[in-house]
Amino acid sequence: MNSTKHVYLDHSATTPIDTAVFEAMLPYLTEKFGNPSSVHRYGQEARAAVDRARREVASLIGARSNEIVFVSGGTEANNYAIRGICEAAQDQGRHVITSAIEHPSVRGVCEQLEKKGWEITRLPVTENGLVRSGDVSDAIRPDTVLVSLMLANNEIGTIQPVKEVGDIIRELRAGGHRSLWLHTDAVQAAGRLEIDVDELGCDLMSLSGHKLYAPKGSGALFVRRGLRITSQIVGGHQERERRAGTEGVPGIVGFGAAAALARSRLPEEKVHLLRLRDRFEERVAAEITDVLFNGDRERRLGHISNISFRFVEGESLLIHLDLQGIEVSTGSACSSGTLEPSPVIRALGRDDELARGSIRFSFGKGNSEEEVDYVVDALFQAVTKLRQLSPLNKVPLSSKA
Amino acid sequence: MDLNAHITNPKNVGELADANAFAEETNPVCGDRLRLSLRIDAGRIEAARFLAYGCPPTIACGSVLTGLIEKKTVAEALTLSRKDLILTLGGLPARKQHAASLAIETLRTALRSMDLRLRIDD
Repeated sequence: MNSTKHVYLDHSATTPIDTAVFEAMLPYLTEKFGNPSSVHRYGQEARAAVDRARREVASLIGARSNEIVFVSGGTEANNYAIRGICEAAQDQGRHVITSAIEHPSVRGVCEQLEKKGWEITRLPVTENGLVRSGDVSDAIRPDTVLVSLMLANNEIGTIQPVKEVGDIIRELRAGGHRSLWLHTDAVQAAGRLEIDVDELGCDLMSLSGHKLYAPKGSGALFVRRGLRITSQIVGGHQERERRAGTEGVPGIVGFGAAAALARSRLPEEKVHLLRLRDRFEERVAAEITDVLFNGDRERRLGHISNISFRFVEGESLLIHLDLQGIEVSTGSACSSGTLEPSPVIRALGRDDELARGSIRFSFGKGNSEEEVDYVVDALFQAVTKLRQLSPLNKVPLSSKA
Repeated sequence: MDLNAHITNPKNVGELADANAFAEETNPVCGDRLRLSLRIDAGRIEAARFLAYGCPPTIACGSVLTGLIEKKTVAEALTLSRKDLILTLGGLPARKQHAASLAIETLRTALRSMDLRLRIDD
């Protein structure tokens, strides 16, 4: 690295473990090593810690603790929710509704179901990155068993109308469409927004620990009481037979501690992150030309800023920033190892160049205003340099010949 | 110069006002683009400049390529391969080697454009 300064702006990818979370976990990595299924003292100590964590995670989203199933993270939660419902409800119907901007783990399960003969409706989004709740209503058919709509998008942060969709589904259920459920991927939203599963009206909610200062490998699926869902990992009685395998106690304890911290710090953290992001976006808009801000200006998470820089390829910009000690992520295909640039940015109606030139800046509690200023200055220099290099903003070669 | 230096401070950036051979090629898969302008006198490449839009290795390959071909004869430049660029850069990951292919393809197109011009002039 060329720079000694270090500014981490990729909190939507992952967050560092909070010191208090680490301290809460430490005994369960060392002396409190029991298996929660063991009946002896060590086992009961671990069991109590898992139960405590379950209560904390449940409190974060307004759920009951017996509605929380611990899993390995957001991807497993999304796989479990969608496949688990579809397998349990396949006699009632084989149609699923989702959106064009879901996380790859939701897209992946839906593609797999499609290959098995399920019908998947992928709803488009507005140019601001929002699903219209009316489109969900229009797409629901008698054989629809699941609507899977993320609470907030991972690339542009837009907050989807999950509550409106929850109301629609409640009404349809009351009208007799009983086998219709709502799943929401709240991996990015949890700890960033006040969440209440009853208010949203969702039946399933995916959560991930490492997006809220807990360790990687921790996550949960909220499963509303009474819901029939087919377990995906079997061969053990853990998690009330919903997810077999010895619990990852240290990770679960960390997730519980992080959920409690997130809940208590949410109001002040929201203000801090909004101040940073607004300062960042105001300076970028004023100082850098040919930029497009992606995602609705109002209905979005306070810590994400996604910007497309014209004439510039995202991975080159990312590397220039990285060499200045700044970590961000990009929608460029090169960076993700795929051939297509970000499907989320493309779904907004942006062309390939804008999708490839998109950068996500995601702020965290440890960032400061001074860091924001450092990043804008470095960004200005990097974008200027890459534009000098770019053939896209020059006279076309064909008109020179 | 290492890979990072070629990315952050590439050599020979720009376009030659008095170029007599040009090319701009795009990788149809990922959209990376490289523009090359050359001044060739008496069969020798006297100057080379490039512009690039793409992932970091595309920029680095433009920088390395223009450095390698300056003062070389057209015949010598035509013998340059993708492998030569990758070796000069000290290696490239497999999924980034398309950047070297794009650079070599652009060079060959530019040299062919010169060849066509000579034939037309004849």
